[in-house]
Amino acid sequence: MAHERTHQHFLELIHRHQSIIHKICFVYCKSRPDREDLQQEIILQLWKSYPSFQGNAAFSTWMYRVALNTAINQTKRPGLLFDSSSSPEIPYDPSNFYDLSEEIQILYRAISQLRKVEKAIILLWLEEKTYEEIAESIGISVKNVSVKLVRIRTRLAEIIQKLQ
Amino acid sequence: MKAIDLDSIKAAWKIERSFEDHKLSEADIQGFLSGKSKDISQLFRKGLIFDIVLKSVVGVSLIGVFFLLRANQSIILVSSILMLILWAIRYQWLMIARIPKATASDPVFRTSLENKVKFYHQHFRKSLYVGALSNSLFILSGMLYYFYFKYGEIRQFTWDDYLVFGVTIIIGFALGAYAQIAHHNFQVKQLESCLKEIDEESMSALTLREQRIKKRRLILIFLLALICGLLLLAFFIFK
Repeated sequence: MAHERTHQHFLELIHRHQSIIHKICFVYCKSRPDREDLQQEIILQLWKSYPSFQGNAAFSTWMYRVALNTAINQTKRPGLLFDSSSSPEIPYDPSNFYDLSEEIQILYRAISQLRKVEKAIILLWLEEKTYEEIAESIGISVKNVSVKLVRIRTRLAEIIQKLQ
Repeated sequence: MKAIDLDSIKAAWKIERSFEDHKLSEADIQGFLSGKSKDISQLFRKGLIFDIVLKSVVGVSLIGVFFLLRANQSIILVSSILMLILWAIRYQWLMIARIPKATASDPVFRTSLENKVKFYHQHFRKSLYVGALSNSLFILSGMLYYFYFKYGEIRQFTWDDYLVFGVTIIIGFALGAYAQIAHHNFQVKQLESCLKEIDEESMSALTLREQRIKKRRLILIFLLALICGLLLLAFFIFK
């Protein structure tokens, strides 16, 4: 009975905050099947980790951490004979962009060109997390976060400029 | 060229509500919960469980040989192989308990990456060699059945028997170990590159030339395996 209540409560929380999952999946995956795979993995990891959620932080903050951690830990499987990482880059499918504004579509395209950890840092910055929070999540110093953010923001601006 | 104002883009990001119209229902979320995790820890676990099952099947088939040859001197060889299988199953079983938990609840991204990479290099790689033993044991078990049904015993080996069966067993082990290690290395390297990114070390991106060399090496290995297989087949047919 208690388990059922916890389960129901979890479903409600995920339902309420699911835009976090959508955003992360859009940044880390370019195709719909990959996004669905990541969505499933994030939801599974959230459920497995849910007992460890103490309620000290906001649910959305905790959810961001678990979801980003899952996205970073996600690995591609090798091809049968050849290294699949050498296959050509898959372009973003614009029909999957729902009705996002053009500015945000360009932002997603630009972020998708960053490396995995850079994506996590910029997402946390966009969500207005403090440097301390970002440093704590990634496992680096606050100074390192500020150095990285300057570099990532410059690179992001360059990519956006090229895409516009 | 117009300068990009990231702060205004950030403000637009904050008010973007398009995802609200494409929400997953609670039933969709429930559906995802009944799926299977594709986390690398799960990959480690599945590989070990598969190997335990495979070794158990070989073990059961060898128990059959044990009873068929119980009045024969070859019983010592069969018993030794059975002991080896039991040791290997125990080793893989203990390895399962060492796998880092497949949850992403670790608050620090670096720690969860480090745990998996460390586990792979310190423990799991060794278990891949134990896993590759399954191929050799499978061949050995088939060989014993072949001898029993052809001669009713394990006959005295001649030099060409040692050569053929020895080479087959070694090739089985080597191919199994190579395939397993290449498969897991490919995935662990992705985690390692994230760790390097966190530490700001220059990532060693593979150049096109390195990629080409890698492809050639793979083709060469597969061709060698194919030639060995064909030679063995020819040996059995024309013997």
